[in-house]
Amino acid sequence: MAKGKVLAVILASALALSLAACGSSNNSSTSNTSSTSSTESTPTSSSDKKVTITFQNIYPDSTTPSYKMLHQLVDQYEKEHPNITIDLDSLNTDQQKMKLKTQAASKEVPDITIVNPAAQMKPFVDAGLLAPLNDILDKDGLRDTYQKGLLDYYSFDNNVYALPDGNNIEVVYYNKELFQQAGITDTPKTFDELLQDVKTLKAKGITPIAIGEKDSWTGSFLFMNILLRTNNGPGFLQDVLDKKKTFNDPAFTEAVAKFQELVDAGAFEEGATSIDYNAGGNIFKTGKAAMYIMGTWEIGAIDSSPVAGKVGVFQFPTVNGKGDVNEYMLAPGSAFAVSANSDHLQETKDFLHFFASNLPKAEFDLKNAVGIGQKVDGDFKAAGYSDLAISALDLFKNVKGGDLAFDNTMNPATAQIHLSSIQNLFVQKVDPSQVAQEHQSAFEANNK
Amino acid sequence: MNVLKVPARTIAVFVLPCLLLYVCLVFIPILVSLYSALLDWNGISGANFIGLANFKTMLFDDPVFWPSVRRTLLYAVFSMAEIPICLMMAILLNRYVKRANTLVSIYFIPVILSVVIIGQLWKTIYNPASMGGMINGILNSLHLTSWTHSWITEPKIAMFCLYFVSLWQYFGYHLLIQFTGVQNIPSEIYEAAKIDGADGFKADRYITFPMVVPIFKISIVLAFIGSLQAFDLIMVMTGGGPANATETISTYMYNMSFLSMKYGYGSALATFLVVICLVFTVMINFVFKRIENKVS
Repeated sequence: MAKGKVLAVILASALALSLAACGSSNNSSTSNTSSTSSTESTPTSSSDKKVTITFQNIYPDSTTPSYKMLHQLVDQYEKEHPNITIDLDSLNTDQQKMKLKTQAASKEVPDITIVNPAAQMKPFVDAGLLAPLNDILDKDGLRDTYQKGLLDYYSFDNNVYALPDGNNIEVVYYNKELFQQAGITDTPKTFDELLQDVKTLKAKGITPIAIGEKDSWTGSFLFMNILLRTNNGPGFLQDVLDKKKTFNDPAFTEAVAKFQELVDAGAFEEGATSIDYNAGGNIFKTGKAAMYIMGTWEIGAIDSSPVAGKVGVFQFPTVNGKGDVNEYMLAPGSAFAVSANSDHLQETKDFLHFFASNLPKAEFDLKNAVGIGQKVDGDFKAAGYSDLAISALDLFKNVKGGDLAFDNTMNPATAQIHLSSIQNLFVQKVDPSQVAQEHQSAFEANNK
Repeated sequence: MNVLKVPARTIAVFVLPCLLLYVCLVFIPILVSLYSALLDWNGISGANFIGLANFKTMLFDDPVFWPSVRRTLLYAVFSMAEIPICLMMAILLNRYVKRANTLVSIYFIPVILSVVIIGQLWKTIYNPASMGGMINGILNSLHLTSWTHSWITEPKIAMFCLYFVSLWQYFGYHLLIQFTGVQNIPSEIYEAAKIDGADGFKADRYITFPMVVPIFKISIVLAFIGSLQAFDLIMVMTGGGPANATETISTYMYNMSFLSMKYGYGSALATFLVVICLVFTVMINFVFKRIENKVS
């Protein structure tokens, strides 16, 4: 009994000691860091307040130029401002969207986060979660570095709430080698020629168009391009929103019918609706498909894939003689926004100002400047950009306007119904008027 | 409780921590989601109280909702139908296989694999032949080309392909449970029965079945609740597509809350799911109570 008690006392005291040891080591370490930081920061910076800025971003992949750009700029800023620590929270696009929504529900938006343009960021703005950025845009002429009209997609009531990282257009990439194999000499100028080429490629056993339709926005992006043509120009969805048109409009049903012709001709790989965006892109990038209809943000990835050098680019053709090939599906990029409830709003804004001002140069040096949202000084050809990048840049020069993606124009509930309705076209034959009606009822139910 | 000779207060003290945790983590969230089901809310900005409108739309106006319920219940039916097969298999293993443990462990392997891996694996198996799909490849080489399908993208069969994967994955799990149940029946009982002339199937009918009923019930409840919550596998393989053809209640709830940003509506779906779970658990308990009374 006595032995047991002694043992218990020893154990207990050991436990107490170890706890005390933990506590004291903690204390000493915190006091150390605080003392060093104060001695360090006083001489270099006027505001010696130690600040940590959380920067949620969508550049988690260390092989991409965007990742390198981000880290390069953040490191530079931290070096110049020793009192500022930037805490990067790097996530995949979908994870980030989800995390932000959860954070927004509890009003805990990170200091800097990523939002998507127009309708997708509207709920966040309406809830007063984002800070207006007019002041930093007006500082040092940052506003003028952005392409004309681009900031409009991020503005509500004359306030800009986010700074975009990109401004892309939807183009058709094609594999020159596979086109040659199928004996196609010229890129299609009309939808009928495109259909003909699809059939020719199919007959040769080549998958005509790669798509990753499990992520249903991909099909929608293509469909909207057809609609942009059949509507003879941009603005169809805006007209629907303004109640000037309905989805039962012939332009819409015609687009559905044309899209179905594409599906019926076997344009897409088998089982497309179970293939996600990355896998779909890889079908093209490994040379297994002849065409890929996607945004110009893919150029960097294509240039570093096995088909690099074999890929050309052309405009989406006219449909039934309608539309202008210089009108594109526009994809203003994801954008950096600042939390209105940030504890250190000014420091965060200062950092973002630095970040946005230096982004174009950093991206240009990393050969990632095709389709960024800001004007870039520099000779792309001399800097060693690929032919694909150069020809895409030529397309950019003649952009006459266009439409935003469906989910950037309509509210999320309507957009989801649209997305699954278009996905359905891949697997089932549906009467176009029925598709139109589905859209119209969804629109009416969700826009009261 | 009085047999323990412990004052009620002491019991309360010991029960309290768990009870508190349970109330905080299970009960309160359910009540909160019940409340948000009455809102028109996008999860971010202000919410409007709209009473039972979400439930009304859900029950009467939503073309996706009832098919999702049907698929979920069918999922449950298939999962439960698997368990008698597991039991038979367990009995056979126990009787005729010398080292059954090894076999059972092998059958158990899919259970310990992550659902994401299983999903990707089966996606590859189901793929079209041009994408290296195994099933279609085999069918082609057997000259049964007309039997090939784009398995998980054809709306009519996609859901059944998902059921199959799930059944395949959890077969080992339920087999293990049943096998343990069968093994735990003392062999003396069988020996005694043998003397009385009950052997083979007869012994199963009068000894094994009645004695594994409690274990059987555990499997049934697990399978049922598990399939009501079926989510991860579907998300990995089809994401509820093509065009909602493989949507179940829980995936639909997710899509509504987070993609369509109708939090209130998603909560209404969640509430419905809770109600179904409760109702069916009570039903299963009731049925088994009668069975147990009957056989014992």
